[in-house]
Amino acid sequence: MIQLKHISKHYPVGFGKNEVLKDVDLTIFPGEFVSIMGPSGSGKSTLLHILGLLEEPSTGEYLFEGEPVQRMSEKKRTQLHRGSIGFVFQAYHLIDELTVYENIETPLLYKNMPASERKSRVADVLDRFNMVAKKDLFPNQLSGGQQQLVGIARAIVAEPRVILADEPTGNLHSDQARVIMQMFKHLNETDKITIIQVTHSEQNAAFGHRVIEIRDGKIQ
Amino acid sequence: MFKNYLKIAWRNLWKQKVFTLINVGGLTIGLTVGLLLLLWVKNELSYDRYNTKWDRIYRLTTDIHVNGSDFISSQVQDVMGPTLVQDYPQVEKFVRLQPQRDIMVQKGHETLQEKKAAWADSSIFEVFTLPLLAGNPKTALTAPFSVVLSETAARKYFQSTDIVGKMLHINNTADYRVTGVMKDMPDASHFHFDFLLSMSERANSRSNNWGNHDYYTYVLVRPGVDNAFLNARLKDITYKYVSPFYQQILHFSLEEIEKQGSHVRYAAMPLSDIHFYANRADQSFIEPSGNIQYVYIFSAAGIFILLIACINFMNLSTARSASRAREVGVRKTLGSQRKQLILQFLSESWLICAMAMLLALVAAAILLPFFSEMAGKKMTINLLDQPQLIVYFIGLLLIVGLLAGAYPAFFLSGFKPLQVLKGKLLSGSNTGGLRSALVVVQFVISSVLIIGTIVIYNQLQYIQHRQIGYDRRQVLVLQNTYPLYKQVNAFREAILRIPGVENGTMTGFLPTGQYRQSPSFFKDRNAAIKDAITTEAWQVDQHYIPTLGMKVVAGRNFDPQNFGTDSSAIIINETAAKMLGFKDPLGKELYDPKTDVSDLRASHIIGVIKDFNFNSLHHPVTPLILRLQEERGSMAFRVKTDHIQDLVEKVRQQWDAMVPGQPFLYAFMDNEFNTLYQADQRTGNIFIWFAVLAIIVACLGLAGLAIFTAEQRTKEIGIRKVHGASVTDIVTLLSKDFIKLVLIAIVIATPLAWYVMNGWLDDFAYRTTIHWWVFLLAGCIAIVIALFTVSFQSIKAALTNPIKSLKTE
Repeated sequence: MIQLKHISKHYPVGFGKNEVLKDVDLTIFPGEFVSIMGPSGSGKSTLLHILGLLEEPSTGEYLFEGEPVQRMSEKKRTQLHRGSIGFVFQAYHLIDELTVYENIETPLLYKNMPASERKSRVADVLDRFNMVAKKDLFPNQLSGGQQQLVGIARAIVAEPRVILADEPTGNLHSDQARVIMQMFKHLNETDKITIIQVTHSEQNAAFGHRVIEIRDGKIQ
Repeated sequence: MFKNYLKIAWRNLWKQKVFTLINVGGLTIGLTVGLLLLLWVKNELSYDRYNTKWDRIYRLTTDIHVNGSDFISSQVQDVMGPTLVQDYPQVEKFVRLQPQRDIMVQKGHETLQEKKAAWADSSIFEVFTLPLLAGNPKTALTAPFSVVLSETAARKYFQSTDIVGKMLHINNTADYRVTGVMKDMPDASHFHFDFLLSMSERANSRSNNWGNHDYYTYVLVRPGVDNAFLNARLKDITYKYVSPFYQQILHFSLEEIEKQGSHVRYAAMPLSDIHFYANRADQSFIEPSGNIQYVYIFSAAGIFILLIACINFMNLSTARSASRAREVGVRKTLGSQRKQLILQFLSESWLICAMAMLLALVAAAILLPFFSEMAGKKMTINLLDQPQLIVYFIGLLLIVGLLAGAYPAFFLSGFKPLQVLKGKLLSGSNTGGLRSALVVVQFVISSVLIIGTIVIYNQLQYIQHRQIGYDRRQVLVLQNTYPLYKQVNAFREAILRIPGVENGTMTGFLPTGQYRQSPSFFKDRNAAIKDAITTEAWQVDQHYIPTLGMKVVAGRNFDPQNFGTDSSAIIINETAAKMLGFKDPLGKELYDPKTDVSDLRASHIIGVIKDFNFNSLHHPVTPLILRLQEERGSMAFRVKTDHIQDLVEKVRQQWDAMVPGQPFLYAFMDNEFNTLYQADQRTGNIFIWFAVLAIIVACLGLAGLAIFTAEQRTKEIGIRKVHGASVTDIVTLLSKDFIKLVLIAIVIATPLAWYVMNGWLDDFAYRTTIHWWVFLLAGCIAIVIALFTVSFQSIKAALTNPIKSLKTE
């Protein structure tokens, strides 16, 4: 599903450059649940951003479902964001001015989905996440764990094939974290969604099939 | 999707109530001003366009410059119009007008004065679009002694418009047959007549004289014929007809005149230009006109106030871009394209603009009567009558919305999602430079408007207090005293016996009046005609100079009792003395034609009076000759009383006793004087309002930024206070940045305002200078206002308990 070949990433610093990723090769298969681990500054977030098409590698090749990403137009990338990739952020990044319902609905709006279908999809997801009662609340009326559930709901509503999660439980306490991780596991097992998460916690990493250790920009 | 945008926009507005209030409030003020000015400018530009053939109608003008004296007029020879049509098939029709400023119309036993009358050729209804409610436009004015009335006049005299065939006794001399009733002429016309009299009764309308310039002449050309063609034909005519005329009557040719550097020119002015350009040097206007300068000034003022409001919007959105930037990031990762984000931000600003527009429409509708009054014209905002207004409004809405929303739409939407989500850009401080620049722009505009207001006010004061060479205060003017005939002297004596009346003079040629005449004079009995000089020459009596408080600087006033020869005496003003070039003008003689140039009359100069302004101060004093001769046009009495109305009543009783039934028309000379500057006064008033509104809008924005800054620096303020900063320290800290911007703005505004206002003042022949203190005063006003606006917020922030602000972190 995802194939990285000789991916490097560096940022210019002064007259030199700071190498964040060095010659990374990585293959992730459909239906996998992968955890990326490593100390701060090891490049794990950069790796995730490259996977999510939010950042471009300096060198190397990235194939998403067999297609080379570097040669994709802006439009094609947006298409991938709309349909194939879902994001979950550490800071949830819900839109404060929208209700739970509307936050979840937003990705469908960008897919130009007809209103009736949108309604049933969102209703479906709310039901699955046990949040029907909260659908008209605004993000600031929810706890952190609940906000992250909304974040995940929003990530999966468009039925992506991959979810990229950047420390999804970093802002949560352990009970909430467990709920979130079980949700991921459930999505992975029943919906066959590929999940890639960045995490610090061994416990969270254990929910996945595979752990990728990254250190100083290199996969161990 | 669009609904979603509006929902977000609405919730954003609701959440940020203060900023929304500032944005909507500022834009409402800006749009209200913009709408009112749009109506004003549209009205000005619509002059004479009610004529369906307006683009094919031209008025002919005269420009004669001989021996340093000018004759510039909108009137041409009686025969010019007919000749053009006869000689050139490209000219389809001509119509000549000869306005009559007062005719006497009998209504029952009363005789009423009517000021809006004119003789007109019968072709007037074919050239101008003046629909008749009754009568046949083709024949209405063909027969002598026929008259066409306006609807208003018809109702006034007959209480009906169905009056064709009725008779009307006019000027105490003849009965006129009513042959038509026309709709009242539109307000936006350069002439308004209630009575059109048939030209055919005027003998000189058929004369072949190329010397008399008596008629306003309009020509209708065929489609495709332009101004240049007409001007070239007028030049041909000048050589073909005018030159032989000069040769025959005056014994010199046009070529000789031109060799001297003088000229005789005729030109065609497009109808649509008349309202703006006709009266620059020409005193022979039918009605006072507009000034294209004011159209520019007001358009600019409107645009600038709108700009200030847009800048508020931009500034507050950049200030709050931090929170919006995150939204941009999230939406992009959810699959939003940039153009969708642009559309989202623009729809947000359009929503605000639409709200402001609705409020502005209401406000404009409410304020329009006041504005109309202030501007001295009738304006309506009836959208059903003027569908193009809707187009203008929507256009305005789209443009303002685009301008106001441009920054968030095009800048924020370009953010890379990663950067904003990572928390870069979140401080919002990197746009501080842009904000500062925009604040400077706002205060430059405000400062220019403040300076402009002070300069206009100064000039109006200057006009009021300038020594104009005569005393206009406490002078009662009786207009149209012709009906007194032989009783004039008895009447004058009777009025002088009324206690409180000090002196009185009789003449139509008053400094504030409309009577003017400019004949030719010669310095030398045997002088060639080409050496003629043109000056104003007025008939007055010996009481003129003392009554009006003018000053004789050399020689003496007229004194017919002691000097029998004073009937041929003249008094000249200083400017005339200078132009004539006599070392000692007293006793010198001037000659003017009695009937024609072969029969000259000599007059000797007995005195020189101090120049006095008999035109508006827009124009310099021109040469003037006063001659002792009876002229019964009007009377002026110098009065001194605390009960002016009682005195007027006594004068009226005397009038009614001597000429019962004749209209008693009076005015005060200082009021007449002020009407000369009505347009300037109006502009001044409108300008002051605009300046005030501009400053209010700019301060709204400044207050918004102050609130934002205070919010942003809450933590800093808390820490500083904990470490011992006083309230004064904090207020200074928060205010000084803003004051710095205002100072920069004043520095930029000073030369700009000087340049613009100097241009405005140059339009006056007599004007104040712009003193340095004007800029100082304007600067102080701007700073005080800005300081007041900002410090209110700063003090609030400074007084906050530091524990509170630090706890929130």
